[in-house]
Amino acid sequence: MKLSFCVNNRPVQLETDPDRRLLDILREDLSLTGTKEGCAEGECGACTVLLDGEAVHSCLTLAIQLGGRHVVTIEGLSETGELDVLQKAFVEEIAVQCGFCTTGMIMSAKALLLKNPAPTKEEIRVALSGNICRCSGYVQIVRAVDRAAHELREVAYGKPDAKNTG
Amino acid sequence: MKTVGSSRPIHDAWAKAAGYTKYTGDIRLPGMVYLCLVRSTIPHGRVKAVHPEKALALPGVCGVLHCFNTTQRTFNRYRSRFSQDELPNEERAFTDYVRFVGDRVAVVAAESQALAEKAARLVEVEYEELPYSIGFDDTLEGQNCLPGEEPVRDEVILENGTFPQDNGMIEVDSFTELPRLHHAAMEPNACVADYDPYQQQLTLYSPNQAVHGIRVVVANYLEMPFHKVRVVKAAMGGSFGAKQEWFVEPVAALAAKMLGRPVKLVYSRAEAMTGAIVRGAVKACVRGLFTPEGKIKSLDMDLILDAGAYVGNSSDYIRTLYSKLFRCYYVPHARYHARVISSNTPVAGAYRGWSAPEEALILERHLDAAAHKLGMDRVELRRRNVLLPGDIDLRTGVPLEEIRIREALDRGRELFRWNQLKQEDADFNASNERYRRGTGVGCGGHGSTYFPRHDDFGEGWITMNEDGTIQLKITTHDHGCGTVTMLKMVVAEVLDIPDSDVYLAEGDTANTPIDFGCFASRTTFVLGRTAVETAGALKTVLLERAAAIFHQPMEQLYVEGGAVRNRENPNLVWPYAEVARQSMLQLKRNVSAQAQFNNVTNPGVTGAHFAHVEVDTWTGYTRILDYLAVQDIGQAINPAMCEAQIQGAAQMGCGAALREEMVVQKNGQCTSSLSQYHLFLAPDLPDIQVELITDGRSTEGPFGAKSIGEVCYVPAAPAVCGAVNDALGSQLGALPFTPDCVLKYLARERET
Ligand code: FES
Ligand code: FES
Repeated sequence: MKLSFCVNNRPVQLETDPDRRLLDILREDLSLTGTKEGCAEGECGACTVLLDGEAVHSCLTLAIQLGGRHVVTIEGLSETGELDVLQKAFVEEIAVQCGFCTTGMIMSAKALLLKNPAPTKEEIRVALSGNICRCSGYVQIVRAVDRAAHELREVAYGKPDAKNTG
Repeated sequence: MKTVGSSRPIHDAWAKAAGYTKYTGDIRLPGMVYLCLVRSTIPHGRVKAVHPEKALALPGVCGVLHCFNTTQRTFNRYRSRFSQDELPNEERAFTDYVRFVGDRVAVVAAESQALAEKAARLVEVEYEELPYSIGFDDTLEGQNCLPGEEPVRDEVILENGTFPQDNGMIEVDSFTELPRLHHAAMEPNACVADYDPYQQQLTLYSPNQAVHGIRVVVANYLEMPFHKVRVVKAAMGGSFGAKQEWFVEPVAALAAKMLGRPVKLVYSRAEAMTGAIVRGAVKACVRGLFTPEGKIKSLDMDLILDAGAYVGNSSDYIRTLYSKLFRCYYVPHARYHARVISSNTPVAGAYRGWSAPEEALILERHLDAAAHKLGMDRVELRRRNVLLPGDIDLRTGVPLEEIRIREALDRGRELFRWNQLKQEDADFNASNERYRRGTGVGCGGHGSTYFPRHDDFGEGWITMNEDGTIQLKITTHDHGCGTVTMLKMVVAEVLDIPDSDVYLAEGDTANTPIDFGCFASRTTFVLGRTAVETAGALKTVLLERAAAIFHQPMEQLYVEGGAVRNRENPNLVWPYAEVARQSMLQLKRNVSAQAQFNNVTNPGVTGAHFAHVEVDTWTGYTRILDYLAVQDIGQAINPAMCEAQIQGAAQMGCGAALREEMVVQKNGQCTSSLSQYHLFLAPDLPDIQVELITDGRSTEGPFGAKSIGEVCYVPAAPAVCGAVNDALGSQLGALPFTPDCVLKYLARERET
């Protein structure tokens, strides 16, 4: 089939099989290898990307579902060569160890913050419940998302937001 | 200290957060083909024939290698150094005698991954099935033995000290059974192999823990000289032991050589679970003798380890397990009988802690039983038995130096509010029907080097660039826990420069010095000290060169702030760059050095973990309410990273205690999906607290550091198991304590 969709704000057209996985299209056809495969069955979250703003498992998303839609991958967050707020927070809070879960984790967090700019720590933990990190105890990851949420609100409202973070 | 002891992200955190880091699965070489293995579908049998015709008929399939068209030569997956000639070569790349569901029979090479997978499904294999066994009992009965084979593949009896003759000793018995575990490194095993037939040069890229170990195995297997085999350690998406035995590299190497094209072999999750290595199933009985005051007088352990399909590391493993008995507690007499059996199940191998976590689970369960029998507090019983500063390892005679396990227990008892929690739990349990709360404590010890099992050493090469920055070469294998950053920090400390001025490439047999690999938690301790020595050697060279170039008396010179200075005259300052350049211009010599470190100590390194849990007696589900890990670490080089790693160990330990288990079904199929292997997720865990005890410094480690990566996993599962048993008033010994297991226990209790 002919597939036209949008990846990281750029239109993409390619010829592909309808049952080809988004994960393979990204990694093989578009060389966007920041999206990882950890299980191929929707269990680990390493392959998480945004599809029209929602976090999805790219290992379970097929070409046929993609026509006209907008995909954002981890590469889309730092296109200028500079890490975005969430990525920086992961680095600075020491939330990155082996890094294999990191990109998926960041994309899940991104989807959360798009919907809920002021999540509690509990809400953060729940939003990341589809992402396995084997290296950590999730403490720094949750802290990183919390910090990014605060910083983004500061940017948006110009001052530290009072809403508590549980 | 300016650098050591201050926290920072690891060197490649930025690239990983950006998705820029290239893991082995991300590598694409020109002309590369993709491999997919054909694995045995039966647990035991002979391959009568392989029919690759249908696969080969697909356009884009480049070849099918199998047990009948490849070498009969064999290798040992566990070998990691040239000197281990005693290890049997027991594995072929593709076998005509399969020993478990998942054994390698063939591999398909194709132009794309999807095509390779499709073609692999078309390869037909004819088997002659043999009787098989999957558990302790059927294996011990010899159900899978061929004529002339014995069910027990190795057996050992070891004893230390003399049997106590005291009167009034109290006898305690316990039984523990541990299931197979999956490492669950998020990146599955992988290798890219590239063979240049014109120079007969093989290059392997893989996430691995010992580039030189792989070189030994692959070079011997393919009958190549060592200098023609280059092994490069690639970015690693976690290991926990899963990437320290070699079954991916020899296969990829053989395929690349036979096909004459670069190949990529990436395991699926199912393959990483069943076709790689697992932590082997263990069961053990312990009979202990204690004084009425709770002092251990004797431990008598009988243990069986199921090695799975191949014996692999299991002979060494059972012996090492025994040695761990002497790393945390004073055990004046111990007797040990252990056997290795080999069932038709996934192969047992290395796992974080390399037998110490199993030893700790068995012993800590036993100590809980002893405390129960003696009516003693569980922390207090442990306090009375732990090793103290100045004690020696009774098995090896090596001093334990400043071991701090007593302090870890004391600090933890206080920080965790152990005594108050016990009271609060008693009140809570008395006042409600459904939920039961309990506390648990676990202790464990480990080592920081191979010494004295093997002599251990490290080597470093270092050069100063013309701008004063540093190139360091030490063969390290970073798993993501920051050993590259650790080494950079150590060098920066010695030379008094920012660690960002140091570049360190990871293990690469063509470019970095010989090393035993990232085993035995030796990286910080042995290689960290090697980095100290290497940087120190460079410092000496810098001073000598500055003295010669600038006509200064050597004894007046010192380094500070990235410059050579004169003590007598503060105006005389020569930045490193200046020294490096003038050394080349005037002396015609590069500023470089080399050093070796021979390690002859192995200090006690320990931890005490505390868990507080709530068990729902209606659902059987256990919630972790609070968790504290206290680690006796010596100097923490990068404390925040140590903390993160310790929290990860707690997460793994909670999993091992409550959820994780590879189940082998009657037909030999083993758990092969994360949907059935349950890991702890963000909402399941509390904020894990970490306390570092840093005054128990080592004599040889860099700035007094000891190991951390494995030792922090050792006490974790015992603490959680202890808490569940405390909550239920039980002595459950068969892990994991799943809801099912808890409900069964409660039902049994109601009946009696
Ligand atoms: S690879 Fe998609 S969820 Fe694991
Ligand atoms: S950082 Fe390794 S899995 Fe999360």
